[in-house]
Amino acid sequence: MSGLDYTQEISVVEGQPSLREIEDLISKPLDSKPDKKYYIALAITMTMLGIGVIALGLSFYYGTGLWGNNNPVGWGFPIVNFVFWVGIGHAGTLISAILFLFRQKWRNGIARFAEGMTIFAVMTAGIFPLIHVGRPWLAGYLIPYPNQHSLWVNFTSPLLWDVFAVSTYLTVSFIFWYVGLIPDFATLRDRTTNKLKKIIYSTFSLGWRHSNRHWQHYEMVYLILAGFATPLVLSVHTIVSFDFAVSILPGWHTTIFPPYFVAGAVFSGFAMVQNVLIFIRKIFNYEHIITVDTLEKMNKIILLTGSMVGYAYAMEFFIAWYSGVQPEQFTFINRAFGPYTWAYWIMVSCNVIFPQLFWFKKIRTTIPVMFVIGVLVNVGMWFERFVITVTSLSRDYLPSSWAYYAPTLTDAGILIGSFGLFFTLLLLFTKTLPVVSIAEVKAVVKGSQPSHGDH
Amino acid sequence: MSSTSIEYTKKDLPSNVTKLGAALVVIGLVITILAYFIDHTRSAFNNLILLMFLSSVGVGSLFLVVIEYLGGAVWSVPFRRISEFFGAVLLILPIIAIPVYFNLHDLFHWTHIESVAGDKLLEEKSPYLNEMFFTIRVLAYFLIWIMFYLVITRNSRKQDVSGDQKLTKKNIRYSAIFIPVFAITLTFASIDWLMSLEPHWFSTIFGIYYFSGTVLTALAIATFAIVSLNEKGLLVKGITKDHYYSLGALMFAFTNFWAYIAFSQYLLIWYANLPEETFWFLARWEGSWMYFSIGLIIVRFLVPYIGLLSQPSKMNPKRLKIMSVWILFAHIYDLYWLIMPTYSKDGIVFGWIEFGFPLLAGGILILVFNMRAKNQNLVPIGDPKLKRGLNFRL
Repeated sequence: MSGLDYTQEISVVEGQPSLREIEDLISKPLDSKPDKKYYIALAITMTMLGIGVIALGLSFYYGTGLWGNNNPVGWGFPIVNFVFWVGIGHAGTLISAILFLFRQKWRNGIARFAEGMTIFAVMTAGIFPLIHVGRPWLAGYLIPYPNQHSLWVNFTSPLLWDVFAVSTYLTVSFIFWYVGLIPDFATLRDRTTNKLKKIIYSTFSLGWRHSNRHWQHYEMVYLILAGFATPLVLSVHTIVSFDFAVSILPGWHTTIFPPYFVAGAVFSGFAMVQNVLIFIRKIFNYEHIITVDTLEKMNKIILLTGSMVGYAYAMEFFIAWYSGVQPEQFTFINRAFGPYTWAYWIMVSCNVIFPQLFWFKKIRTTIPVMFVIGVLVNVGMWFERFVITVTSLSRDYLPSSWAYYAPTLTDAGILIGSFGLFFTLLLLFTKTLPVVSIAEVKAVVKGSQPSHGDH
Repeated sequence: MSSTSIEYTKKDLPSNVTKLGAALVVIGLVITILAYFIDHTRSAFNNLILLMFLSSVGVGSLFLVVIEYLGGAVWSVPFRRISEFFGAVLLILPIIAIPVYFNLHDLFHWTHIESVAGDKLLEEKSPYLNEMFFTIRVLAYFLIWIMFYLVITRNSRKQDVSGDQKLTKKNIRYSAIFIPVFAITLTFASIDWLMSLEPHWFSTIFGIYYFSGTVLTALAIATFAIVSLNEKGLLVKGITKDHYYSLGALMFAFTNFWAYIAFSQYLLIWYANLPEETFWFLARWEGSWMYFSIGLIIVRFLVPYIGLLSQPSKMNPKRLKIMSVWILFAHIYDLYWLIMPTYSKDGIVFGWIEFGFPLLAGGILILVFNMRAKNQNLVPIGDPKLKRGLNFRL
């Protein structure tokens, strides 16, 4: 071992920046005009978004026949993308709520950004069920209320539970995000010299004065919100997994689905946050706030959740054999060696094999390598949803109704558009709000912790 | 950093506790041996509950030790030794398993070759469910668990004297290796000992179900010991309500986790309503089992949930002790619910036999703990993280 000292805590923030320096550094992107690179990046994401808008426009004009969905594969890309994006949205609340309850200080530098990503990812995800129902203007009927038609939703359908779970998740995540922003809004208000900005920041800071009493209330609210948000991290993807698992379709109906989906969601969400943070810390000079040590810890969580996903794959396979149920056994053999072999093995290699490289410290701390693995994880997790959704539907109990599903260009356009939307929102976020929590980072700088015992 | 000094002097445990443990073991042994003479089938089922309960304590405690090394946790260092002591139960697991092993035919339908022969499903499963392979697997679980237990605790003990940080590093390595091994062995141990009691039934979440109960049991027994010993001043000075709170919070969290896993398993099977799966739950709805199943929700979830919900209750030593004993009882209740419907199909059975085995469990745990505590420090005084652990504040 080389110089690792377990008697000392590793500081979350490197060096000893003064509180003033932190404030200046984090609010710099908000005080300065965006440079050329920013506009180039925005142009790229807006183009992707434009492609999505065109693909969607065509879909509305000509109908969903432009998609690859067929009979029996009625779910296709829209549901694959929905599950993928909801999954991406899981890292934020895990970092801000669960890691907060576990008193993990390293979360402070990355929580704000991850929460932002959660909100944008859930918003992106929300588009897909809406377009998949075919007539999004009727989506209001998903909300149960007494109406003249005496039309009620089907309360026993997990698809409806999704509506409640995802909207609750979005609401709570948003409140969490906003509550965390209040002290930072106040800091920005006190710094700015621009009149318009002053009015905006003053409004959103809700009269925050950094007083002791304010902080006490803030801490209490934050703790309670973390308590509320923690079950939500589990519930959302649990219910998404119910969409599949309550059915009797082989490959969908298996009891491990809820925890397995949650682990997978955290897995992909962390990979996405890690990927984006690698750029953010470089571009905005946050390398001492979002340290390599923090990234290493994220990589450990990616390794852990990736292994959980691998465990679930193995259990599904084993129990399919052990159950002795023929359609079950067929489904899994078909996944691995049937017409979707390519998708299955992309999934396995990206989710189970490559993340195992994170066992090595060298790989966990080398930025280009971890970036590539992070990208692969998200490729793998997208394919996981594809494999689950498509392979089970395309070959079910009745061989006469089997069909191969192939996505169309329109499907691809909508997928590209979803990435466009997500990254456009992220880019706007980086220039309008502090992407790192000023108050929380100040709290983990060396020397700012209260000491106990004798002084 | 404040300059907390480590104040620990080794004191003997109160001798009357050891006597209580010895008495429990003697009474327990008398009852269980008698039980085997009178009704060996019923005793074997109870013996299986005992085995799975002590497995949970042993391998669960080892898991807590390992997860501390791996996560770099500091708050739990002052009382890590407690879990190490309970991990020693692993050493006697093979002895507990022997009477179960010699009654396999009473417990496991799949061991009857003549009835497997007529059953297509069991025939297909026979490459996995056969006595030969079963024996090899069970031996492998014990061997692996004991091996890791010995290596990791030996390093920890050595550190008491040397204070060498390299030992921490070493144990982190072993812990990293142990975690995947633990996941696999615990899953298959639960499939072998518990799920295969109903050889036609299958559930992919079953390993996680047993895992949740295992962690809960290890946490509960550690909490009970830590609070009791700390109240008597037998541990290091400086274990505060912040430490208590963390233990209470973890028990609360895993109570919820158990409920989440149990509910997921139940809901999916109920909803899909496939006869291949539902019969397992229907068997637990037969006759008086119905009340027992409803009781499971109250005993295993509602009581600890309400008992540990509020912030003060997680710091209250009295509440923590009551709740940890309750959770231990709840694990036995849960195991009874998993195992006994195979023995008694029409309703619950409860008599002096069911009473004797838990007595033996209690005695064994006390004795194992006290024997370990006799020659060892109750606190890992050489651990480099100990001071940080004592400085831990919420």
